[in-house]
Amino acid sequence: MAKKTYDLLFKFLLIGDSGVGKTCILFRFSDHAFSTSFISTIGIDFKIKTVELRGKKIKLQIWDTAGQERFHTITTSYYRGAMGIMLVYDITNEKTFENIAKWLRNIDEHANEDVEKMILGNKCDMEENRVVSTERGESIAREHGIRFMETSAKANVNIDRAFGELAEAILEKTHGKELHDAPDRVTVDRRVERSSTRWC
Amino acid sequence: MSEENPESLLKNDAGKNKDKVFCTFCPSKVLNQGSATFVNIQFSLPYMQRKGDGQADERESISDYWLVEDMYTFENIGVSNTVENVKYLACADCERGPIGWHDLKTKKSYIALSRVKHA
Ligand SMILES: Nc1nc2c(ncn2[C@@H]2O[C@H](COP(=O)(O)OP(=O)(O)O)[C@@H](O)[C@H]2O)c(=O)[nH]1
Ligand SMILES: [Mg+2]
Ligand SMILES: [Zn+2]
Repeated sequence: MAKKTYDLLFKFLLIGDSGVGKTCILFRFSDHAFSTSFISTIGIDFKIKTVELRGKKIKLQIWDTAGQERFHTITTSYYRGAMGIMLVYDITNEKTFENIAKWLRNIDEHANEDVEKMILGNKCDMEENRVVSTERGESIAREHGIRFMETSAKANVNIDRAFGELAEAILEKTHGKELHDAPDRVTVDRRVERSSTRWC
Repeated sequence: MSEENPESLLKNDAGKNKDKVFCTFCPSKVLNQGSATFVNIQFSLPYMQRKGDGQADERESISDYWLVEDMYTFENIGVSNTVENVKYLACADCERGPIGWHDLKTKKSYIALSRVKHA
């Protein structure tokens, strides 16, 4: 009886060293004024968000790790069913950038072969503490043939855009043919989204 | 939340929600029209904001809920970690909640009429 109200469901994961901002990317207000609330105390497991891309209604289910990354125990069960992975490092922390290569190997080992990846250099609001240049981020992404973007969960820079682009990439890969045949195809707005007042 | 919404005005003849359901604090849309069914079920939800010291565990007894059969029916929702077989539901954009709860055994979700906006 229950009619399906969406066209596609994409499962996304956030991966990367502890402290890079994965939880903030998902849970933007975690150390804000609401931190005394019941929800922030128990934490968010996942979110469901609905986006419209090229006339299709897509449900994104986005999962955070429950801190397993600290013990390097992210294995096959966490990756199961994932179609998109946001691989996050901290632009103010060299080590987290060096570990991107390790995470890529972990993903190769455990995740679905055709999972779509994107590298995020987070905390780009902390320009004065930057130790990883944008060029180095771009270069490792190019080397591995994946997308790259710098983000700030704190200032809400590029977060929604990053998820939108990853969804777009999966859509293109899985339904590309169908989309190119569709006459009402819309071009994607590539402007940088920026709203400055949200702190994570 | 202070608004008194008689449930009879909010549901149609089939018991479904007539209006879209939104977060009361931000523009985030939680449910489309006609995607949930009114049910009378007793469940105590923790308060959205702690009022002060020593009231951390206080709960409000609520009985008017929108029943959502399939979690993917939600337009936008935040789902908490599990506490005693229950996951609490919050706004996906501003994280305020709980606005409802999800029963892990039955896989059904419930949104409190009194904690959302109907428009
Ligand atoms: N300046 C700044 N701090 C951030 C940002 N994202 C996260 N943080 C901070 O980094 C710390 C770790 O964030 P968290 O989300 O818990 O990292 P996780 O371990 O990857 O989940 C917290 O103190 C956050 O407030 C950001 O974009 N900018
Ligand atoms: Mg975390
Ligand atoms: Zn909200």
